[in-house]
Amino acid sequence: MGQPTSVLPAGKHEDHRRGKRLEWTTIGIMVPVIMLVYFALGSSQAMKTAWVEDILSLVPPVAFLVAARYHTRPPNKDFPYGFHRAIGIAFLCAAVALCTMGAYLLYESAIKLVNMEHPTIGSFNIFGRHLWHGWVMIAVLALSAIPAIILGRMKLSLARKLHDKALYADADMNKADWMTAGAAILGIVGVGVGLWWADAVAAVLISFSILRDGWKHLGQVVYDLMDMVPTKVGESEADPLPDLIQATLEDMDWVEKAQVRLREAGHVFIGEAYVLTRGETNLLSRSEQATAQLKAMHPRLHDFVVIPATTLQRQGADVGEG
Amino acid sequence: MMRLVVPISFTRAYQSFRRIALLLAVTCASCGIPRDPDGTVARVKGGMMRVGVIAAAPRIASDDTEPVVWEESLIREFAAEMGARIEWIRGPEAELMDALKEHQLDLVIGGLTQSTPWGEHVALTNPYHTTMVAVGVPRSAPLIRDLAGLEVAVEIGDAAGAYLRDRGATLISVRDPARVAGPVAAPDWKLRRWGFRNTGIVLRRHDHVMAVPPGENGWLVRLERFLREEAR
Repeated sequence: MGQPTSVLPAGKHEDHRRGKRLEWTTIGIMVPVIMLVYFALGSSQAMKTAWVEDILSLVPPVAFLVAARYHTRPPNKDFPYGFHRAIGIAFLCAAVALCTMGAYLLYESAIKLVNMEHPTIGSFNIFGRHLWHGWVMIAVLALSAIPAIILGRMKLSLARKLHDKALYADADMNKADWMTAGAAILGIVGVGVGLWWADAVAAVLISFSILRDGWKHLGQVVYDLMDMVPTKVGESEADPLPDLIQATLEDMDWVEKAQVRLREAGHVFIGEAYVLTRGETNLLSRSEQATAQLKAMHPRLHDFVVIPATTLQRQGADVGEG
Repeated sequence: MMRLVVPISFTRAYQSFRRIALLLAVTCASCGIPRDPDGTVARVKGGMMRVGVIAAAPRIASDDTEPVVWEESLIREFAAEMGARIEWIRGPEAELMDALKEHQLDLVIGGLTQSTPWGEHVALTNPYHTTMVAVGVPRSAPLIRDLAGLEVAVEIGDAAGAYLRDRGATLISVRDPARVAGPVAAPDWKLRRWGFRNTGIVLRRHDHVMAVPPGENGWLVRLERFLREEAR
């Protein structure tokens, strides 16, 4: 049983390449969009927060691509467990950035509301027409929402297929992105009809959404780094795989009882099964056979060993949220 | 290539986008968006317009008109368009701007430029006129191209002195630059009035603006439209 070399389950390489292309496309589209929004910015706080969210939406793709560069590296002498945690570290940084930015914008928007600052949006001339700047801001915000809608949908299906939480979080962020563009549009329309507070209220809502995104991802990545039991993509429900493996092992005639421990490492699972045996003959080949059989049944089972034991640890009571 | 499944055609989206934008621009020119949170336009129309005039004579003029008169005459025209009487309030900049910030004035004029530090507290219009601080020479003197090493006269206390030093010129502060025989740095309209030829060496540009209360977007856009049509 040699050291594993590639960390992607068979058949997922093409999907992973698509994911990478999708993330590059996102960066390629979002950078010009961010510049366009910057030039239309004006003095709307809501638009400013939406713009910051546009910028922050670059973080997940960059994190995904950086992680994609490192996490497929085979284990080496200095890093015997490989580089799976690269994704977790990238996401920890992203989540902290989101929380900080969200909190800052929330503070800034709330202050504007409390101070009753009336946003000034003037007019300008284009092609010989005299146009209120608000219309341009609305148009640019609407335009900036289109790629977020399309890319978000494409990523969502791919993330489920790849079982990639990074990609899933990115799709989630794209969704938040076009919703905040909508909120900013409402804020500017509100200012247009003479409601000075509409802009600041929209900005507060958008900051909340950024903060909530950050908080959600922070929780998720901390659980992952703490080796929480594997969960399904985008859900808090536990993955059924550990139970399945236990059942499979306990069906084998040489196994009395089995205990399975798995953790998530990017796209794959790492872990071990301790088995209480009925006899003591051929244990080595039997456990190796069982390992090979289980790995063949479950391609995502990447780094896995079956260990015969004389006693099993007492399984702790259910902890966490379940 | 990646299978980019795009549910809409971009050219069609662009066309309908343009159509919607045009429609919005046309219909909403008449529907009164943007409106004022404080209702300035509605109050001024057929009523009173409170105009603050910064006391010191500002450095601005269209050709040879007296500086402050030009801005005031623009506002008289604007008030006529709005059917409003004008109440002129003359005072120092700090007082007028404070009153404007608190919506106790409708408008402040008097040599304000886009770089005014009050821009954070009140709403500034788009620039409606640009003046330049330039170097001029008397009609009899030859034109110059470079300031380095030259002696250039400037009125005592004029900021142009600092710009001159940056260009490597030697500065002579005088009380009355009009009587100097060599190159002089001053606002372009003053050079014209003194009978100097403009050398085309521009030291600074000043984009002139007017100020309205913050957030009175309907009022601001009205004034901006007027200035665009009248002040060119």
